[in-house]
Amino acid sequence: MTTTAILLALPDRRRWVGMAVPFIAVAGALAIGLVLIAASGKSVPDAIEAFLDGAFGTAFAVGASINRAVALSLVGLGFILAFRANLTNVGGEGQIAIGGIVATAIGLWPPIADLPLGLAVVLPLLGGTLGGALWGGIAGVMKVRFGTNEVISTLLLGFIALLLVYWCVQSTALLRQPQTSSATLPESLPIAESVKLPGLTGSPESPLHIGLVICLLLAVATAVVLQRSTFGLRLRAIGLNELAARRAGMPGGILLVVALALAGGFGGLAGAIMLQGEQYYLKTGFSSGYGFDGLVVGLLSRGSAVGVLAGALFFGFLRSGGISMEIMAGVPAALTLVIQGLIVIAVAGSVILVERLERGGR
Amino acid sequence: MTQSATLEPPLLALDGLGKRFGSLQALEGVSLGVRAGTVQCLLGENGAGKSTLCNLIFGVYEPSAGHMTFGGAPWAPASPAVALERGIAMVHQHFSLVPRMTVVENLMLGQVKGMLHRHEFGARIRDIAERFGFALDPDAVVGELSVGERQRAEIVKCLMRDPRLLVLDEPTAVLPPGEIGALLDICRRVADSGRAVILVTHKLAEIARVADRVAVLRGGRLVADEGMAGADMSTLVHAMVGREVKPLDVALAEPDGPAAGQPATGDAGGPRRFALVCDGLSVKDRHGAVRLDNLTLEIRPGEIVGLAGVEGNGQSELGMVLAGLLRPTEGRFYMGDVELTHAGAAAVTAAGGGIVPEDRHAVACVTAMSVAENMYLNKLGRFTRFGLLQRRALNAAAQAQMRTFDVRAASPEVAFSGLSGGNQQKAVLARELTLDPLVALVAAQPTRGLDVSAVEAVYRQIRAAARRGVGVLLISSELDELIAVADRIAVLYRGRLVGERPAEPAERAAIGALMSGQVVSGQSVSGHAA
Repeated sequence: MTTTAILLALPDRRRWVGMAVPFIAVAGALAIGLVLIAASGKSVPDAIEAFLDGAFGTAFAVGASINRAVALSLVGLGFILAFRANLTNVGGEGQIAIGGIVATAIGLWPPIADLPLGLAVVLPLLGGTLGGALWGGIAGVMKVRFGTNEVISTLLLGFIALLLVYWCVQSTALLRQPQTSSATLPESLPIAESVKLPGLTGSPESPLHIGLVICLLLAVATAVVLQRSTFGLRLRAIGLNELAARRAGMPGGILLVVALALAGGFGGLAGAIMLQGEQYYLKTGFSSGYGFDGLVVGLLSRGSAVGVLAGALFFGFLRSGGISMEIMAGVPAALTLVIQGLIVIAVAGSVILVERLERGGR
Repeated sequence: MTQSATLEPPLLALDGLGKRFGSLQALEGVSLGVRAGTVQCLLGENGAGKSTLCNLIFGVYEPSAGHMTFGGAPWAPASPAVALERGIAMVHQHFSLVPRMTVVENLMLGQVKGMLHRHEFGARIRDIAERFGFALDPDAVVGELSVGERQRAEIVKCLMRDPRLLVLDEPTAVLPPGEIGALLDICRRVADSGRAVILVTHKLAEIARVADRVAVLRGGRLVADEGMAGADMSTLVHAMVGREVKPLDVALAEPDGPAAGQPATGDAGGPRRFALVCDGLSVKDRHGAVRLDNLTLEIRPGEIVGLAGVEGNGQSELGMVLAGLLRPTEGRFYMGDVELTHAGAAAVTAAGGGIVPEDRHAVACVTAMSVAENMYLNKLGRFTRFGLLQRRALNAAAQAQMRTFDVRAASPEVAFSGLSGGNQQKAVLARELTLDPLVALVAAQPTRGLDVSAVEAVYRQIRAAARRGVGVLLISSELDELIAVADRIAVLYRGRLVGERPAEPAERAAIGALMSGQVVSGQSVSGHAA
């Protein structure tokens, strides 16, 4: 009792509360989730077991979850870069799709498989990144030239990109595999072995690939750009007061375009990594949900690269566990999404609560 | 009325009032009585605690020490809404009117529930305005009104609640000279109707004209509180700034102040003929209305040209054009020998055009960033190595510059928003005056909202720049300041240059006439024949 009182009297007790609140909130959201699972008539212990098994149960499960997290991180990192300039990129989904298309197209180009020095892996990755950057850059140019709100333009460009994937895999003139029978699926051919991302562990058991390393390097780079670089400061100035930044001689329009192109580039890279790392061939809906989950990760991170990584890991494992719950315990996928939504609300709500606590001190 | 007022207890009494924000003691031990039927002036420099005091009275903040009584009862309003309900109204410096709605619509917002009776309400607005001796068209669209008219709408909005105390927070800071008198008359009439008026200001002339009592705040403490009858102007100034200040004209006309920044070294290539040339600049707004009409002006190196005019006569547009943020519809302008008409803001900076924008918060600075970042916003490249910002070097440079330009802040790393208006302006000025090369300086309303000592500092720096060969265009609606500082004064009226006069006190009446659109005989659009 007295110990508690002393602890609470400590000057920085608010920091402890601030750190504890999000965990308590997430635990609360998970508890509600379990209640919902019970209410849907499924066995709660079965569901928990299936979740844990799917998320952490095997080396494969862990690797798959981390690969998911890599894609989410990249989209989230791009989001916080653009968000520093007060731009909200909601087009992650479409940028992933474009990245996937370009990576497939380059990966299926016959000479590519024989290129030396890992170029067979690198070129599709670069292509995907550039494709995504172009897609994000279009929204930037539209904003600067015509004043189009980037929330609208990135979202709508996203829909176009998803339909482009559809077109690419439907038309043999584009990326569809040769139609040998009426049963040929609307998918591309698989990419060559040399185009696939090298594994990290060397064990065929684990799907973990080099994308993780790329992602971590880019997270460090993003953190440096945002916190230490002049470019990051310029983005911040533009985001806070565009007129003053332009008055001070900053190239306002170019910075905005670059910010959105960077966000798009990260999305495109995520798409290329997903394709070369796990998917290996293009099909419709391969980007499903990643763009928007990445957006949520970016939003919840409050502009910190570490926050993005943490959020992405969390969502990555949650997704894997959710899929396993659906398959093994019969818990509807929709329920996983509900739980995910609850967690988002819990985290966002606790952030607001913590800010209140911090400001509440006289 | 002053005599009878001394007999009854004050309407509002403050007793030992204090307010602390974190480690900052904004207000301490303020005791003051405000009587019904009087105008109480509140004088003080920026950051002296005037606004904090008003906000305590109006229920925006809760005092951290002391207490208040209003009408004999304890006064501790939980919010401005409660204060308004119980008889205290406040006119803020920034108006809360919706520009696209009419006066009557604006005033009905929040005051009317259920059915709207425009005509009745409009009639009430007219009544109140007439009662206090001014006119206000209830059906005018707010966006088309002058600043003074908008302010009157705000005042009527307050008076409709029939308050016993009206607080006006620096109401004259936003007004052109011609409208200040009218506002002060309104204050007098409001007081004469038996209400109390608190008038916050840092312009001394206004106090002499309207105040019954004057209280002076300095550093959060009350340093003077006296009746107007016994008050002496120089004593008040002394109380306000805590040191002797010479009359403005003397201070400004002084030949040599302390060194101002590094000398501009870029202009080694012989003397330029002109520092700034505007050649037939015209600006039309979106609706096709002419805002700036064929403006031609030439400023030599070392010359300070004042551009006088009531606000809203094209000054803002000219300022934006010369800052490179607005393309003129016609005409050209040059700084040094470089044409910059369509070159944009970055090119203006590169060509040596220092700009002190009229709207400090919207154009000059990023308030959420640090003082150092703001002071070097246009020179960040200097502190960049391999793309990384050398923060330590940046902060050290800013620290040195803060000393040179007397920018007072706890450290270069504090947020710019935490600085007082005067210090913010000095920081902006420091940034623009240290351009290398510096060819021309365009300063628009550089002293707006600043107190006496900050005004002095700003003009000392501007004069020093002119002595180093910089051509200065000084856009201001403060005629006295222009006369004291400028070499010659051009007058802008409805977007046109309507005349030019020497900057002499004797020309005051002639310039004033030009500003109000009266053409002086034989002297119409004289340009720069002199």
